[in-house]
Amino acid sequence: MMKNIILKAMVFLWICAVIVFSFTFLSPVKDLGETARIIVFHVPTAWIASLAFFVGAYHSIMYLRTKKLSHDLRALSSEELGFFFCILATLTGSIFAKTVWHSFWNWDPRETSIFVLLLIYGAYFALRGATEGERRRTLASVYATLAFVSVPFLVFAVPRITYSLHPDIKLGFGDVDIFYRSALFASVFGFSAIYLWLYRLRVSIEEVLT
Amino acid sequence: MSELQTVMLANLIIWIGIFLYLLRLDRMMRELKKVSK
Repeated sequence: MMKNIILKAMVFLWICAVIVFSFTFLSPVKDLGETARIIVFHVPTAWIASLAFFVGAYHSIMYLRTKKLSHDLRALSSEELGFFFCILATLTGSIFAKTVWHSFWNWDPRETSIFVLLLIYGAYFALRGATEGERRRTLASVYATLAFVSVPFLVFAVPRITYSLHPDIKLGFGDVDIFYRSALFASVFGFSAIYLWLYRLRVSIEEVLT
Repeated sequence: MSELQTVMLANLIIWIGIFLYLLRLDRMMRELKKVSK
């Protein structure tokens, strides 16, 4: 219990440090100015969404193989968190778009691909709500597995194979300095810890519910 | 809106979002407790 509280306090302090660091130590980046600091918060939300969809797909496959209820609960919890972080990435991205491109939504390939991703995973929850019992679990697992196939394509491929306004900052090739890289990796680590915490909470609720 | 305000707003949205998600989990837990009593 005490260990748990200490861990949560450490995550809280870590995230506070990342926020303070990003507002004090990072310098403006060419073409993006001060707005570039947003990558420290926006990129980790998109990263966590992809990670959560991956975990959801893994547990869906495991459910189809073993038919263990625990895998279905874990898949549902992770898909829900993935959807939630995907919404956060969309909102923060559109605020960035308003400042840099003067419009909240431009139907840029990156924006369109995340919108399609939201529709795909929105349908997952619609499917779960429309069916029941064993049929629901099996259909949802098959759907989540197939839906994940689109994630690498929509998140990583589409914006790179078509012309996009979205900045493609290459972290290892001199686009940003070491401070940006450190802040981004620290933020990804902090967000991953938050994802783990929320995931465990969500799974424990589902376990009691069923 | 200035560039720094944009970053601040994005930050706020993320933390308010996570807070609302935690509130939802908290409500679910309270309902479960009620049912178990």
